[in-house]
Amino acid sequence: MSGPVRRSASPRRLVAIGVTLIMLLSPFLWLLQMSFKSNDLILQFPPPLIFTPTLQNYASLWQGAFAASFVNSLMSASFSTALALVLGVPAAYALSRWAGRGKHALSFAILVTRMAPPIAFTIPFFLFYRWIGLLDTVTGLVLVYTSFNLPLVIWMMQPFFETVPSSLEEAALVDGASTRVVFLQIVLPMVAPGIAATAILCFLYAWNDFFFALILTRTNARTAPVAVVNFMNYEGWEWGKIAAGGSLVMAPVLIFSLAVRRYLVSGLTAGAVKG
Amino acid sequence: MTKKNSSHKSAGFNRRALLQAGAATLGAAAFPLPAIAQTKPFAGVTLRGASFQHRFFTLLQNYIPEFEAQTGMKVDLQLSAFPVYNQQANLELSSGGSAFDFVNVTFILAARWVAAGLLANLDEFTIDPNLTPAEWNPKDFVEGAQVPYRDAKGATYGYSWEGGAMVMGLSRMDLMEKKGLKVPKTFAELQQVCAEINGTENVNGIVSFQLHHWCLPPYIQGFGGNIFRKPPADIMPTLNSPEAIKAIEYYANLLKNYAPKGVLTYTEDQARQSHMTGRSNIFIHSSAWITPILLSNDSKVKDTSRVVRMPAGPVHDYPAANSQGLGIPKNAKNKKAAWEFIKWALSPEISMRLVKEHGHSSVCRRSVIESEEYRKLNTVNGQDLGALYLEVLGLPAKGENYMAYRTVKEFPIVGDVLNKAFEQVATGQLAAQAAMNAAQEQAVANLRRAGTAL
Repeated sequence: MSGPVRRSASPRRLVAIGVTLIMLLSPFLWLLQMSFKSNDLILQFPPPLIFTPTLQNYASLWQGAFAASFVNSLMSASFSTALALVLGVPAAYALSRWAGRGKHALSFAILVTRMAPPIAFTIPFFLFYRWIGLLDTVTGLVLVYTSFNLPLVIWMMQPFFETVPSSLEEAALVDGASTRVVFLQIVLPMVAPGIAATAILCFLYAWNDFFFALILTRTNARTAPVAVVNFMNYEGWEWGKIAAGGSLVMAPVLIFSLAVRRYLVSGLTAGAVKG
Repeated sequence: MTKKNSSHKSAGFNRRALLQAGAATLGAAAFPLPAIAQTKPFAGVTLRGASFQHRFFTLLQNYIPEFEAQTGMKVDLQLSAFPVYNQQANLELSSGGSAFDFVNVTFILAARWVAAGLLANLDEFTIDPNLTPAEWNPKDFVEGAQVPYRDAKGATYGYSWEGGAMVMGLSRMDLMEKKGLKVPKTFAELQQVCAEINGTENVNGIVSFQLHHWCLPPYIQGFGGNIFRKPPADIMPTLNSPEAIKAIEYYANLLKNYAPKGVLTYTEDQARQSHMTGRSNIFIHSSAWITPILLSNDSKVKDTSRVVRMPAGPVHDYPAANSQGLGIPKNAKNKKAAWEFIKWALSPEISMRLVKEHGHSSVCRRSVIESEEYRKLNTVNGQDLGALYLEVLGLPAKGENYMAYRTVKEFPIVGDVLNKAFEQVATGQLAAQAAMNAAQEQAVANLRRAGTAL
């Protein structure tokens, strides 16, 4: 038996797929079409479905401060993901290979930061950052996101390492490979799908964060989600820019997820069935 | 000897130096140097300020380079969206931060910030003639707009840069005249006009927006009720008083029967758009949102519009009024420089320039609003908008401050409850009596949970 079982597409199934697709895609498509409309057209009732598209909203976004916010988002999400993986993957490997008595207690302790809601950490972070001068810096955001992503990396990567047979590592060690070589050249390639899946989840967390960015940034390190909110002015909401900003915020995540979807699926389902 | 000589020498030198210095002083007194060449007292200071994005600041930024040139300081003004700014400023001030030298004192947060001692007392600056010249005149600010920025003892913690006076816009006077309808002056007439116009040529009788705790209280007060028993002294909510129930029924009836579908979730923008395009006849809101039917280039109803006082209730005539102010955080590092900026930004000269050069009319200086130039610019179709604005903005300071309900720190909690209760009534989920009884219980519980002693 190889590959998934193919089923004929019955009308009922097609309808179900269609309804699901509409439910999933309509908010995104609505946002996208709004981003190509002028404010007048957006507020028109009933909303016109056929219209002359304009790139004005996107143009004015890039002329303003949004571009810098977008770069801040990219930097904070990328660096924090990289840092969490650099620190978390070896930690997960060590925990998976450690058979000591404190293993479960340590694993549990690592997870504690994910147990409380972010609001519980915000004020301490704010006060501490103000004290050490990290408020409104990308570095500050990277450190926050890393501290929240680290437990995720450690907990997600452990099962992947556990699926790698120890005999492979032992054989390599017998052949004279160092522990570093074993880890980097034998074990890591085998858990690459897991690393990809974990990286995506870390990136998504950092990229979509609004709360920490709202509290810990002002103007220099403002991220894209906060920048989108800044189009909600006192005198009126700039719907076109909000829609364009929202579409742009979604774009990198969509592209990134589509590019590595094979790894994502295999990564997220690995270890689900054993034997 | 040496000593003597040296002393003699030095005495001679001193005499000469003294004579030279004296001559120089006399010369300087006779021919004073131009001010621009004198030392700038704030040279090298970077002044950090924050506010929410608003047209006032966008316009002010055009003039800031002049201020920087005059004073030698650099102004770093951070502007954010309204909710973002409020969140960040609240956190910064309440945690004793000194990141900002001046801040916007948001109307809905003013009482909280003043009561908590988060702002500097500006009277210390205004009473000092070295810091504030007499012509700046703090009393020139419209009294009603200044009320939110005073503490119980009358000390001032902010000066208003923006006033919001609730007025009524009628966009389709042509339809009203066809039907022989006059401008409504009472709640009863308002309902009648809405009913008569609604559906005529696809026009709605009235439009409003989702901030019910701003739109609804004038009706509650108009029927003789209030949000609290006697604010600011007694802040026991009075949401289920017979007057409040009558008001919520009345206002819900207006929106249910004569407003566009979906009005409960309308933003101010949507409401203004509906009004400016003539799709809705009546809109009752702050003047800044209503006057575009007469002043905006996008208005399609300029020739058929009127802007007037909102109708009076059977018991009271209490149109809402609010303002926004500039203040100095208590822990600011550059208080004197911040005061220099506030003094400049809210000076009669800058206020008048904003009016004349940009048509920005919602300033708070009486001398500017009452000037002939202001009147000329703000009289449209024979309507003196400035006089109407000043009249409404000044009302809360006449007698009992009826806007006190909105300036107490407990209002946001009760306001949220009021919003939900109104939506339950307007959507038919609950009768007004039941909704307001539940709202009263909820408001009291929420206030107690927040630590308020009732």
